[in-house]
Amino acid sequence: MKLLKWLLAILVVAWAGQYLLAMVAPNLIMEGVYFGGAKQGGYNQLVVRPVPDETARSVVRPSPDLLYASCLYNLEDGPIVIEAPIPERYWSMQFYQMNTDNFAGITNQRADSKRVGSVAKVTLISADDDPANYQGEVIQSPTDRGIMLLRASAIGDRTQQQAALDASYCGPQGTPAPAH
Amino acid sequence: MLKSILKLCAATLAAILLAAMLLARNINVGVEEMSVHNGDWITTVSAGAADADPLLKTTVAFSALLASTRENSMYYRLAAVDGEPLRLECRYRIEGRDYDANWWSITAYGWDNYLIPNAEKRYSFNNENVIRRGDGSWVITVAAREQPGNWLPVGPSGAPPWRKLGDYDFDLLMRLYTPGDAYLDAPQSAPLPTVTLEACE
Repeated sequence: MKLLKWLLAILVVAWAGQYLLAMVAPNLIMEGVYFGGAKQGGYNQLVVRPVPDETARSVVRPSPDLLYASCLYNLEDGPIVIEAPIPERYWSMQFYQMNTDNFAGITNQRADSKRVGSVAKVTLISADDDPANYQGEVIQSPTDRGIMLLRASAIGDRTQQQAALDASYCGPQGTPAPAH
Repeated sequence: MLKSILKLCAATLAAILLAAMLLARNINVGVEEMSVHNGDWITTVSAGAADADPLLKTTVAFSALLASTRENSMYYRLAAVDGEPLRLECRYRIEGRDYDANWWSITAYGWDNYLIPNAEKRYSFNNENVIRRGDGSWVITVAAREQPGNWLPVGPSGAPPWRKLGDYDFDLLMRLYTPGDAYLDAPQSAPLPTVTLEACE
């Protein structure tokens, strides 16, 4: 009888526990990617990655038809600024918080195709900050840490796309960004 | 007292292990329920979205971390043809045309979710590099051995075999960037390439 009670307790705890695990697993995996990436490139700076091949292990299912650049951001010391020339072919700037949610993004597609040829200048601020204190394009991150990912099409002639990523910038506000 | 503590530790450990096993099982079942089927292709319409279910978020974290939202790009995955998991000893034919999207690509991934090592260093075909027939249609052959035309090579995954959990050797992922309304409104019936099994060794 005692054994049956123990088994029942284990089953009940395990049943509830799977949902707890499901809630923390995305954060744990993102933490792994975040700290792994930080070891290679640090925080609040843009890392332009080579076109993925069979050796790429920073994220699962990398696309060999995309150019990637990422910025692991940390807003504890204040906002960061992201500047990125927007090339002609497919390009996007996506923001992910630590539970994997894609909470904001900019593209050069659909209605935003008019942005091609311009430079996206984004101030990324924390949830505690007031967007009214900033000018221009302001994005508020739900968490102090997260990942900004630039994607650009690598199909066909990728010269312009690669140049756009190479000229992009991510860093603390107040630090001079390179001239575009 | 010590006996009770040991019992409690063992029970906790058993509960955690069981919870992990239940989660792994429910990820597969849950994702299946949340997925949209279009022939043998499967897509999850909430990948990357804030309203995604916790089970889907966990699955995405394991298999499609940092995915875009579907307005930006849609992902259709194919791991079986007519219910039979994709095998390295078989040859598959993908036949298609162009699709209503800014651009598209089809990539082969190993069961470990990474690009498959191959001497050709070819991991995908896209709307620009695929060789077309006169009418604009195309055929891609997926096989471990060299094939004429658009050959998408597959082979053993880079990860050690003991880590393999699924029943397929590799899978195919079709990406549609800036997909048209047909994909956004009716992902279950929008046009996609057909994949057929040609032969097995």
